[in-house]
Amino acid sequence: MRFLVCLKQVPDSTVKVKVGAGGKAVATEGITWSMSPYDEYAVELALERKDADPTTVVSVVTVGSARGRDALRQALAMGCDDATLVNAPEDLPALDVAKALAAVAKEMKPDIVLCGKQASDDDQGLVGPAVAEFLGWPHVGMLTKAVSSGDAWELWREVEGGHEVWKAKPPVVGLVHKSDKEPRYPSLPGIMKAKKKEIPEKDLASLGVTASSPKIEVVAMELPPQRGGGKIFKLDGDAKAVAEQVANLLHTESKVL
Amino acid sequence: MKTVVVAERTRGALRRVSLEIAAKASSFGDTEVIAVKGDRYSPMAWSSAVAEKAKDADLILVGATPSGRDLGARVAAKLGRAYAADCTDLAAKDGALEAKRPMYAGKIRATVKVPSPAVISIRPGAWTLPAGTAAPQVTEIDPAADDPRITFDRFEATASGGKRVSLAEARAIVSGGRGLKGPENWKIVEELADALGAAIGASRAVTDAGWRPNEEQVGQTGKTVTPDLYVALGISGAIQHLAGMTSSKVIVAVNKDPDADIFKIADYGVVGDLFEFVPAFTEAVKKVKGTN
Ligand SMILES: Cc1cc2nc3c(=O)[nH]c(=O)nc-3n(C[C@H](O)[C@H](O)[C@H](O)COP(=O)(O)OP(=O)(O)OC[C@H]3O[C@@H](n4cnc5c(N)ncnc54)[C@H](O)[C@@H]3O)c2cc1C
Ligand SMILES: Nc1ncnc2c1ncn2[C@@H]1O[C@H](COP(=O)(O)O)[C@@H](O)[C@H]1O
Repeated sequence: MRFLVCLKQVPDSTVKVKVGAGGKAVATEGITWSMSPYDEYAVELALERKDADPTTVVSVVTVGSARGRDALRQALAMGCDDATLVNAPEDLPALDVAKALAAVAKEMKPDIVLCGKQASDDDQGLVGPAVAEFLGWPHVGMLTKAVSSGDAWELWREVEGGHEVWKAKPPVVGLVHKSDKEPRYPSLPGIMKAKKKEIPEKDLASLGVTASSPKIEVVAMELPPQRGGGKIFKLDGDAKAVAEQVANLLHTESKVL
Repeated sequence: MKTVVVAERTRGALRRVSLEIAAKASSFGDTEVIAVKGDRYSPMAWSSAVAEKAKDADLILVGATPSGRDLGARVAAKLGRAYAADCTDLAAKDGALEAKRPMYAGKIRATVKVPSPAVISIRPGAWTLPAGTAAPQVTEIDPAADDPRITFDRFEATASGGKRVSLAEARAIVSGGRGLKGPENWKIVEELADALGAAIGASRAVTDAGWRPNEEQVGQTGKTVTPDLYVALGISGAIQHLAGMTSSKVIVAVNKDPDADIFKIADYGVVGDLFEFVPAFTEAVKKVKGTN
């Protein structure tokens, strides 16, 4: 069984994102970069299968600049077997990123390709379904669990009120929403091992991909309106009075009740 | 501009977000509203059918629900179109489309230029439905043949899920955090939610602990919500939680720690024990709404 997890490096979730000088991109000076959170769940989901069956191989790949090596190392340190960097400009159109990932999958022949539900920089959720489309494989979104049963896989898709369980014959693409457990921290031996691993590079030309797909272009970025200056009430004993005051304000002042 | 709106249904009825999109899109000119027959979304069979039907459209609109986003992305890939997800507004400009959409897990609001033809998903609630709007006329299309490599097997219900309004479309939400101490205490959250007619949300600390189902999680790795009223109970206000709910119209926060970050974005903050405040608040809400 082989997994290929596609992962993207993005500003860490704790970063207070700011708009950069040109107003069309975020400021990146001095920020911390991490694997995108849903990709981290995807790695964890694959590694949970590897825990259950140690013959499982988990490969990871990223398309982008050399900075992405850190995210690949993080995945190796968590326990993934090998990593590949596809060198590409940061502004490669998403469908071309998907084409490059599909080309890597064609070479590696995994049973399952996992992507995150969406990357936490562009928040699109396009690349995963596009990889599946370019491979001609089925996909399952909102994936929270993958269990092998015979020659098929049970893929759990979260929907309102529960899960749909789909049975799929590999190869298949899954778009991960959550893993069973929290993503594991890299172990110290894992970190040492990851440091020594080679990360081979590929370029777009060798994968037969050129930047040719339509691209959406950011024309302006702004922060959401700042909030603050709310009314603060202290609860000293008389909960009822404060509760009534707040309820009345919701009715008369902000008119949401 | 030839526009196709792909409507979504739950249990036979058009979803509110589809009505919102259809109402707005009727002003774009030549607009057709379509829906795939059947009530279980299947990525392969539905995306093929929609792509075939809408391949000549300049603009394909879907609701930014989990299924709508999934469908829109695969259709965009199939047709090689530009795609923009979860847009909060859209207008034609200089032969292209200009959309507003969140980025960076909701921490940024971006204006993006999308070359036409395009596929765009619109966030529920982004376009409010004018009162008295007639239901659109819907063209039913057949899904393509099922893909034999993948089949729906069964539905596994979440114990507490499904009974309430969906979080993404709710006009009011009551969310509980670790401050509730344990799943057994959710009764007071439910009572307040009932009084408000609200959906129930949670922080990740709570869903990770298994106190509440995943689908209730609000935030960066959960749902992004924009209700008129968001009530945060015993939630500290971590940056990843705020990413999912700061665009709510009115925020009420209850926390015993006066320095909790949630108060920085709250319109009404109550510093104190939620176990004291919430039952009293539920009564007060009932009184104001005249349901007592
Ligand atoms: C990559 C990543 C993604 C994440 N995504 C999300 C996400 O999508 N959503 C999310 O919510 N979190 C997310 N988190 C987690 C986030 O960082 C916080 O850990 C989490 O939001 C904390 O949940 P909490 O506020 O319920 O718990 P805590 O931070 O423990 O806060 C509990 C609060 O309850 C208050 N309290 C305790 N007792 C009472 C009482 N009796 N009355 C009143 N108040 C009381 C306390 O003062 C405290 O402020 C993410 C983290 C990472 C790293
Ligand atoms: N440059 C990339 N390299 C590798 N995987 C990517 C890249 N961009 C997106 N992905 C994958 O596709 C998912 C969805 O990304 P997006 O469509 O950008 O929201 C991510 O969570 C990743 O799994």
